[in-house]
Amino acid sequence: MMQKQLNVLICDDSVLIRKKLKNILEVCKCHSIEEAEDGIAAIQKAKEMKPDLIFMDIVMPGKDGIEALEEIMNENPALKVVMASSAGTQSHLKQALDLGAYDFIQKPITLEAVTAIIEKIIKEEKGVSANV
Amino acid sequence: MFSQYFGHYLLNNGLLTAQQLKHALDLQKTTHVKFGVIAVDEGFLTSKQVEEIHEKQKQQDKRFGEIAVDLGFLTNEQVDHMLSSQKSNHLYLAQAVVDLNYLSIEEFTNALNEYKKIHSLSDEKFEAIKSGDIDAIVESLIHTNHPEEEAYTEYVSLFVKNIVRFIDDEVYIEASEAKNVEAEWLVSQEITGAKPFWTAIAADEKVFLEIASVFAEEELTEADELAQASVSEFLNLHNGIFLVNMSNKGTELEMKPQKVDHASAVSVHKENSLCMSIHTSKGKFQLLFSHSPENVMVSDKHKENQTV
Repeated sequence: MMQKQLNVLICDDSVLIRKKLKNILEVCKCHSIEEAEDGIAAIQKAKEMKPDLIFMDIVMPGKDGIEALEEIMNENPALKVVMASSAGTQSHLKQALDLGAYDFIQKPITLEAVTAIIEKIIKEEKGVSANV
Repeated sequence: MFSQYFGHYLLNNGLLTAQQLKHALDLQKTTHVKFGVIAVDEGFLTSKQVEEIHEKQKQQDKRFGEIAVDLGFLTNEQVDHMLSSQKSNHLYLAQAVVDLNYLSIEEFTNALNEYKKIHSLSDEKFEAIKSGDIDAIVESLIHTNHPEEEAYTEYVSLFVKNIVRFIDDEVYIEASEAKNVEAEWLVSQEITGAKPFWTAIAADEKVFLEIASVFAEEELTEADELAQASVSEFLNLHNGIFLVNMSNKGTELEMKPQKVDHASAVSVHKENSLCMSIHTSKGKFQLLFSHSPENVMVSDKHKENQTV
């Protein structure tokens, strides 16, 4: 059986982080990778492209990552949103997980951290389809 | 890392020229520290005794330590101790300076003692600095009467560690007068919460591009969006780590998005601020830190004045 390829949305106000994360996701052979520069754009793109996974920064101008997470989870509680921040404080972590975030990674983002998340999602999805 | 600090001390006090310091720092990477330098540094031998042993070495096929023991200058225990000190960081610079005939062992030792005296360093702290303990180095440089001096020290210490970790391991820092700083490029970030502060990196374009290139892991030749994002992300990453450390100590803080200004003049409140000059192999830039963000003024030379 062919392994499922994920559609991923990257939301970060830093063009550098978007570029680096996109390179990592390409190495991980993700199917479609789209980008959003802030929370508002992320909410819109999430509706349009229906991603399997979103990487969401927290500190962004306008609507921040926590606010965007809340709206996205209200819209689609099954969506997997991974918060990626340099400020992985206990309060951010708790807030994100309480709102339904799938995981939290501390910046700088590494290939290992991203690969581990993607493998975990693919494994979970395989488990679900095997049980259907 | 101590070599950078002590090297700059020798330079600033006219004991070495910039060219000599560069040669010595380059040479120390391949230098093998000899026993004479260690013995004098440890206070086991005088420079005259070292010379006497060197003379004897010309006549006999014996090691330095053996001759010193034969002459009754050193005990076997002292020789063993010196063997374990041979990789001590600061001694590489000493050996390089002596090998290049820029200073005698005695002159180097005198300068080292003077450095220790000027910085009011206890033996314990000096040992920590010699072994490259960044916290001890920063603590010896920052002297304010501000109640948040500990936070200043922690912040700067972490910044130096992050420079070493992400940008360049040849770092030398010095505190400078904080009031008005002109910057070709200024990347700033405000931190809110129980103990708010404002922080910024100020650099000329050349150094800005160097930092941006190293952090982005690609050569950037223009201060475009990617270069600005790179330096911003470095500051954001550093502040994020600081926030995590503060959070672990029970102080919750939040970061605002970073701001980039081109050709700006910064004015900070002298009593509540700190300006550190950060010297790296990529060039020199400034780290600004203020406990009163409301008093920080950033004037854009191209636009109207604005408050950050």
